[in-house]
Amino acid sequence: MTEHATPRFAVVGHPNKGKSSIVATLAQNDGIAIALEPGTTRENGHYPLRVDDRLLYELIDTPGFQRPRRVLAWLQAHSLSASDRPDTVRAFVTQHRDDPRFHDECQLLTPILDGAGILYVVDGAVPYSREQEAEMEILRWTGRPSLALINRIGAGDHLADWRAALGQYFQIVRDFDAVHAPFDAHLSLLRGFGQLAPEWEAPLEEATAHLRDQRRHRQHQALQLIAAALADMLTHRETGRLRDDGNRDALEHDLGQRWRDWQRQREQRLRRDVEALYQHRHLRRREQALAWQPGSDLFSEQARRTWGVSRTYLATAGFGAGALGGAGIDALTAGHSLGAGALIGGVLGAAGSVFYGGKYADKLGAFKMLERFTGGTEAAFGPVRDPQFGYVVLGRALEHWHQVSHRNHAGRDPLTLGDADRHWLEQLPRGQRQRLQKALQDPPREPGDVKRRDALENAVEQAGEAFLNWRSGAS
Amino acid sequence: MPLSPVRRLLDFDAQYRRDQQHTPDFLHRRDRRLALARQQDGAPPPDAAAWLSAVDAPGAGDALRSWRRGRAALTVAGAVLGVLTMLGVLYVDGQGRINVTLIMALALLQLVLALATSAQALSGRRPWGRLLGRGDGADTPVLRQLHPQLAARAAHGAGLAFAVTALLTLLAQVLVRDLAFGWSTTLQTSAPAYHALVEQLAWPWRGWLPAAVPGLELVEQSRYFRLVSEAPADPERLGAWWPFLAMLWLCYVLLPRLALLGLARLHLNHRARALLQRHPGWVALRERFATPWVDSGQAPAAAGPGPAVPAATELAPAPERGVVIRWAGAGSADLAGRLLEQAPAQVLEAGGSASLEQDRDTLARADLGLPVVLLARGWEPPTGELADFLDDARHCLPADTDIMLLPLANDDKTAVVDGALLAQWQRFVGRHKPVRLCRP
Repeated sequence: MTEHATPRFAVVGHPNKGKSSIVATLAQNDGIAIALEPGTTRENGHYPLRVDDRLLYELIDTPGFQRPRRVLAWLQAHSLSASDRPDTVRAFVTQHRDDPRFHDECQLLTPILDGAGILYVVDGAVPYSREQEAEMEILRWTGRPSLALINRIGAGDHLADWRAALGQYFQIVRDFDAVHAPFDAHLSLLRGFGQLAPEWEAPLEEATAHLRDQRRHRQHQALQLIAAALADMLTHRETGRLRDDGNRDALEHDLGQRWRDWQRQREQRLRRDVEALYQHRHLRRREQALAWQPGSDLFSEQARRTWGVSRTYLATAGFGAGALGGAGIDALTAGHSLGAGALIGGVLGAAGSVFYGGKYADKLGAFKMLERFTGGTEAAFGPVRDPQFGYVVLGRALEHWHQVSHRNHAGRDPLTLGDADRHWLEQLPRGQRQRLQKALQDPPREPGDVKRRDALENAVEQAGEAFLNWRSGAS
Repeated sequence: MPLSPVRRLLDFDAQYRRDQQHTPDFLHRRDRRLALARQQDGAPPPDAAAWLSAVDAPGAGDALRSWRRGRAALTVAGAVLGVLTMLGVLYVDGQGRINVTLIMALALLQLVLALATSAQALSGRRPWGRLLGRGDGADTPVLRQLHPQLAARAAHGAGLAFAVTALLTLLAQVLVRDLAFGWSTTLQTSAPAYHALVEQLAWPWRGWLPAAVPGLELVEQSRYFRLVSEAPADPERLGAWWPFLAMLWLCYVLLPRLALLGLARLHLNHRARALLQRHPGWVALRERFATPWVDSGQAPAAAGPGPAVPAATELAPAPERGVVIRWAGAGSADLAGRLLEQAPAQVLEAGGSASLEQDRDTLARADLGLPVVLLARGWEPPTGELADFLDDARHCLPADTDIMLLPLANDDKTAVVDGALLAQWQRFVGRHKPVRLCRP
């Protein structure tokens, strides 16, 4: 496919009707300016979709119409018949290219005259008004394939009126909520672009297939990031030296504080990594203003209530996880232990889970004295011993990932952690719960610990699927 | 020169850790391009060595330096110990004999130690690691996983040096001294039984080197008892054990060490290859090779820094009397009628769906010598057509006409108070002085 035949779409419309929101969402770029005013220099923004450096389509974000009535008046004054209208529009651009009054009109008309399709954006939340008919008429004069998009910026609903009016000017009329539309709606809209011209259908189909694969791949990568962070956080240990004449309580407090700070920083790094993966580059600046509920920090009781699990759950899953380990003994004895290994492992797993999972805040990390050295003793805080901790970290991470992955790039509202009256683990089959429990209890101790790493990654992958099902069921 | 598997693993791991500093987008783009470039040449995606070369990886530095030094020190120690041990074994005082049984036991002990070293490495364990592990902290986690194999290689190297110098010492002693060998044991063993044992031990070479297999006669003649000080019938015969002992050392100490050293090298390389295949970076790299790079608007953000916000100014109150013009249908007719303290002299329409001629007509009708208040939708940015209308108004209306602009909030009733929205209107009127903003 030559560059010339590549589908190109100029997103045009009245100022402040959501053109840039549409482009931001479809181009997955949250840095696109949303509102501007005349007098501010505005050039077309080009947002190509390339797959392995091959251009599949290009969106062009244009300035809004500033003087459509004057443009239309000029066109009508210089046209003799319907057949010369595209040439008349071209003549207008040629004539006014250097005229600052018509800078924006020349900018938006140039790509259309060069072969781009038209995506005309209106705000379906405000009533239809005839004032935009001049813009639509100009676009009709270009003779290019065109599609109207009814974006909804506010609460009002005037879709029917807009559809009726736009249908008279444009080949296809579609509704699209740039801020809230789900990913499948993005793809559906892109396929709709392909219907504007027969030669555009194949590249748009290919583009949507790649975007779908990219999304699947990102999900896999995001869950791997979560698994890696979980492994780090579950095994982290802060060490210090207690001199013979030192204060044990002060050292424990100091190490505990350092341990908690490290955990918070690691969690924040995970947040940034997931946001970068989904190309939410500007979300980070707003992170300080994230509307996490007051007190719902990683270690609060609120977090435990939302994302932790019950004692019964811990006992059940702990039994299963212990039984999985004990079954290994049975396998080694070729069954001669008559299943005693699984039974003993299960009982031990359940007992350990319940014992350590009872209280939360005071059992995050264990303070231990290690080896002696001349004049003192090596002390350590951590790794975490509360099995609830892994569930809290995982639940919060999955919630953040879910929100980021389902957030359109036109969105400007801060992220807020959701809450629910049911637990996401309900969606996880029993076998997967046990494997998750085992992976959380026995995380990889170092990067080369392939077996445990794979177990944790698999468990988190399954948890991610269950979380998606849970969220889609709740919404 | 091709990289050894260990060096390749360490270089890859170092580059993997460097890559953590890059964005995932950059890594995906870089590696996918490499794979595509090779695909165009009909080649599969690059292996680790080719990839390291393609990304110009600087390598892991001398990560094995301490291990290399340790190996060298162990080898030297083994060599010295070999000389000293053999000299000690061959040491005799006066008419004493060198006990062949002791040398055989030493050789078999060496064999057992060598096999135990290899068994530890093959099982991946290093029970004595804690004793020597104090200095391991500087090693990367990947290198730490190679410790059993690296340690086995070093141990076999030292063992081989021990075996070689001990054998050379034996041969040198044979050359410069008249060694008298004999055998002695507390156990009730007959000479034929001892000969049978010797023949068994000589199994590897007895078929092709019979001179190195002691006969029954020699075995009988060379038995001695510590408390019997009789001289041997033929002292020259007692030196005939040395070919057997040399071959015993060669076949049970030196060659096994050599073979196990080779095995340790192979195992180390195999382990390094396996670790590379399971390395999280290698798995991710292959994914990047295979996954198309989808670039959906990675360009820098189009928006620059926003325009400067002018200093907040107090909005002038709307005049008591005047002409009200609704721009593009802003505000209701009812609002326009009661906006001013006194009923407006005229409520006119302009912009929006009106024609340019109608705008000019509106301006002509607004020329009443009264202030003109223009209502606009404050939540929408001011357009060029509004700017044109204000310019036309300044030209058409008398110079002393007070032209005021009232941007309405989205309830269409009150004035805009939102900071960002108000700022853009302030900038707008700033470019169209003497037009002023006003409030109801």
